[in-house]
Amino acid sequence: MTLQQKLLTVWVFFRINLRRVFRDRLALFFTFLFPLIFLFVFGSLSHNSSISLNIAVINESKSPIAEQFAASLNKSKVVKVNKDVKTFSDANQRMSRGEVDATVELPANFGVVKDGLPAGNVLVHYTQNSEQAAQTLVSVLQATVQGVNAKIVTNKTPFTVSSRQTNEHSLSAFDYTFTGLLGFSILGAGIFGPINVFPELKKMGILRRLHTTPLRVWQYFLSTMMGQAVTGLLSIGVMFTVAHAVFGLKPVGNLAQFAVFVALGIVLVLGIGLAIGGWAKNERQAAPLGNIIVFPMMFLTGVFFPRFLMPHWLQGITTYMPLTPVIDGARMILTEGKTLLDLGPQLGVMAIWFVIIYAIAFRVFRWE
Amino acid sequence: MTKIGDTILRVENLQKSYGDMKAVDGISFEVKKGEIFGILGPNGAGKTTTLEMIETLRSIDGGSASIDGVDVATQPYEIRGMIGVQPQAPGFQDKTKLTEIIQMFAAAYGEKVNPKKFLDEVNLGDKANSYIEQLSGGQKQRFSIVTALVHNPKVFFLDEPTTGLDPQARRNLWELIEEVRGRGISVILTTHYMDEAEVLCDRIAIMDRGKIIKLDTPKNLIKDLLDRGFTKEQKVEQANLEDVFIDLTGKGLRV
Repeated sequence: MTLQQKLLTVWVFFRINLRRVFRDRLALFFTFLFPLIFLFVFGSLSHNSSISLNIAVINESKSPIAEQFAASLNKSKVVKVNKDVKTFSDANQRMSRGEVDATVELPANFGVVKDGLPAGNVLVHYTQNSEQAAQTLVSVLQATVQGVNAKIVTNKTPFTVSSRQTNEHSLSAFDYTFTGLLGFSILGAGIFGPINVFPELKKMGILRRLHTTPLRVWQYFLSTMMGQAVTGLLSIGVMFTVAHAVFGLKPVGNLAQFAVFVALGIVLVLGIGLAIGGWAKNERQAAPLGNIIVFPMMFLTGVFFPRFLMPHWLQGITTYMPLTPVIDGARMILTEGKTLLDLGPQLGVMAIWFVIIYAIAFRVFRWE
Repeated sequence: MTKIGDTILRVENLQKSYGDMKAVDGISFEVKKGEIFGILGPNGAGKTTTLEMIETLRSIDGGSASIDGVDVATQPYEIRGMIGVQPQAPGFQDKTKLTEIIQMFAAAYGEKVNPKKFLDEVNLGDKANSYIEQLSGGQKQRFSIVTALVHNPKVFFLDEPTTGLDPQARRNLWELIEEVRGRGISVILTTHYMDEAEVLCDRIAIMDRGKIIKLDTPKNLIKDLLDRGFTKEQKVEQANLEDVFIDLTGKGLRV
């Protein structure tokens, strides 16, 4: 057989198996919908992270100043007022559950005019565990109250504090969430896919039947790699579109380079799945080994939480896990505007893993 | 170019052991071009192991096998291009059209074919766009034979091809196998059905405990037994239950 004939084989397998994915509802669900569900769950969690304090406001005063004060809290960006809370008992219950961090009380005499000036005291209630939140809330309220005071009693303020936003683009929590989920999607499709499919193909004698033909393992692997890269990129494309439209993800890097890099990551991780699925005789061998490899990667490579939160020594080790450079590199292109040329270290680690993983996968592959 | 009657498969002193157990214990035989050759024997006799060694699926511990002069042990990829294999339980991936599966198998042999033509040959033309899971047992068997012949092999192996089929499908498969032989392809099959072996096979090897204990035409094997004075209770009936079944339900192939 000529090389051209051998590549034709790869192409035909790739084309037909790709068509088959789109006929398989279960495969479609796990490829496209499943990552989206995670995107929505984690996306909404990290999207709300700018609101740090959940508070309840109980206004017992009828004065217009109290009304204004309560309204200004509602508009605040720093605190989030839970409007369902109307009574102290409800507020206390929610505080004990941790649903509300602190309760702001405006007593009945708040804003009542006394000695020619309106006056009053804002009271912050908090629990044993929300002392920090209460401290923050008190300083926020103090600043607000001082602003009000300054309007009523004019006096000079020699020292002031002001803030100004820099032009530097910093990574939001969602940037980490998105690239983490991207890693999750690559892991799921690349590893759980083959370790479920291969034992099934072996059980039904499909691989054995192919083994009686001159088909080579590399042809079979290559067609699978191509198929996985295409479905993976489509799946991530859908995630990307939703992240952009719903969660305001603003990519700054080159999307073509991003796609090339992600495709490399998909093919790398697929190698782990091919090694496990190709080696295992049945599901009972494949599943435990798959879990042993997938779960540490999920928690240590930045899928669910950024690696900078880890202790230093752990960061050092996890830098060299196969998925870490994929997630880091994807984030660097997407949100920091880096190019493939800047990703030398990441691509280097990936190349070394590629050689190791595929060397193992070819060696341990069994047709039955 | 080999002619009908020339030796196509040559097996010499073939051996395979699993631990202390000799699964195949030094067997030798030859199969001619255009011949239907049957391997019979009880379970565990070594039939399947023998086939799998010739099919390059198992390593050969001792002896040799060659097809049309090509050595099985040293040139497995060439051999795979020369043989077609019908396994005991043919499995194909689901949600794939019959035409696509044929394209894939042809591609595995490095060829492009017209799948419809192959399906028409076995009366599956109207199923071209069906998925494999929509076929009956007999249809699957016929389809599996097609996929094993897309590259026009020299030798065709069938491992217990009619196990689990109804009498109509069984007879239909016999006709199909005769047809394959008619194209000059040598057929090697294993079976547990003696009637099948008697009807189909030109020659039969009977295996037990890893050895070929007898090899001849069905006619000679029976004659040999009778010559040794074997008698069995004479049957008065000129028909058996299968004849009744076929008479009642007809020879027409179902689904």
